[in-house]
Amino acid sequence: MSIMRLGYVHARVTDLEASRSHYSDTLGMEVKAEGDGKLYLKGWDEYDHHSVVLEEGGVGAVKFGFKVSHATDLEQYERALQQFGVTVERMAKGDNLATGDGVRFISPTNHVFELYHEMDYAGTETGTLNPQTFPRHLRGVGVPRLDHTLITGDDVEGMERLFIDCFGWHISERVIASPEEPTCLATFLSAGHKAHDLAILKGPDSKLHHFAFILDDWNAVLRAGDLFAMDDVPVDIGPTRHGITRGTTIYFFDPSGNRNEVFAGSYTSCADFPTITWTADQLGRAVFYHARELNDRFLSVFT
Amino acid sequence: MVTVAIRLLPDDVVLQGRPGEPILDTLRRAGYSHRFGCRRGGCGVCRVDLVEGSTTDGAVVSEAVLTPEERAAGVRLTCRAVPDGDVTLRLREDDTLRCVSPFLARYVTRSSLT
Repeated sequence: MSIMRLGYVHARVTDLEASRSHYSDTLGMEVKAEGDGKLYLKGWDEYDHHSVVLEEGGVGAVKFGFKVSHATDLEQYERALQQFGVTVERMAKGDNLATGDGVRFISPTNHVFELYHEMDYAGTETGTLNPQTFPRHLRGVGVPRLDHTLITGDDVEGMERLFIDCFGWHISERVIASPEEPTCLATFLSAGHKAHDLAILKGPDSKLHHFAFILDDWNAVLRAGDLFAMDDVPVDIGPTRHGITRGTTIYFFDPSGNRNEVFAGSYTSCADFPTITWTADQLGRAVFYHARELNDRFLSVFT
Repeated sequence: MVTVAIRLLPDDVVLQGRPGEPILDTLRRAGYSHRFGCRRGGCGVCRVDLVEGSTTDGAVVSEAVLTPEERAAGVRLTCRAVPDGDVTLRLREDDTLRCVSPFLARYVTRSSLT
């Protein structure tokens, strides 16, 4: 029984056509379906039908989907969530395009999460039989896949308890106010072997900080930065490196102001590793390792 | 080039906006800045109050970010609002007009005034 990964993010956008250009031309995702004011996109190395859904009207996140490894996991997670005490409901096959049935719950931070086991198989251009290493004619950044998301909310500790108790995740890193005042300001939760699959930052409930796409390495991050310059994509910060997760990064905004990230590097995390702790007085270095100071947007701009 | 005068209170700095240029872009081009976030109308951080004149948004701004009531009361996002003509805007009390590039402020602002 396990959650394998962040499978999808549904986000609201104010202009679907501008968003198509950003996610498809600049980031290089493939539009797999559209209609009813929605676009369904996937990265080139994703086998499932889609990983990003854009919905016209508003800004911010609609919901997040986690894919579980076995169909029977859904029932067990449903029970665990009910026992934990959050609002849980069943979703039917077809509630989400190309997606099977599952379990929907509202987190302590008032975000909507969905657990599912099935999604239509789309495959990749490189295939699974003696494949080449990447498709030759990628557009723009050519993001391979969705990686993680950071959301904001008040009950950071409640989120830690939920994801540990119900799903068996572990905490790779945490930010606390100080050793004397150990209020958790941010937590980085791992479903398996990544430094984070979901992170929560202390802040207003229901809000999105960013969702991120993985890239191969620092060179790819730098090249993404070049493309953002060419396409006049507003960059929040980067290219730089995080102290937390050690990932190299650029944060940027989509045409509706939702923050995206391209991310590379980081490290392997395991459930038995001790949690790395950062204190607020070192937050500059923790977040932007080189500059060692925060900008005025990063911890205050959400959608 | 036909420009519009953008007067920023309380500092009383006047900058020359280009046709179709959102107010924040004019500030940045002229070496100035104030509190802003996503630059795409999504976060609402760059809100200011319109005192005189009128503006049109260069792209859709969600009503979840700027409510019709706020808009009617003169609230504008500098990243999206494009002046229709000369305008006067007031920055919020917790916001500050900053000259981040005296070089640009000296040469761009001056040359565009002539």
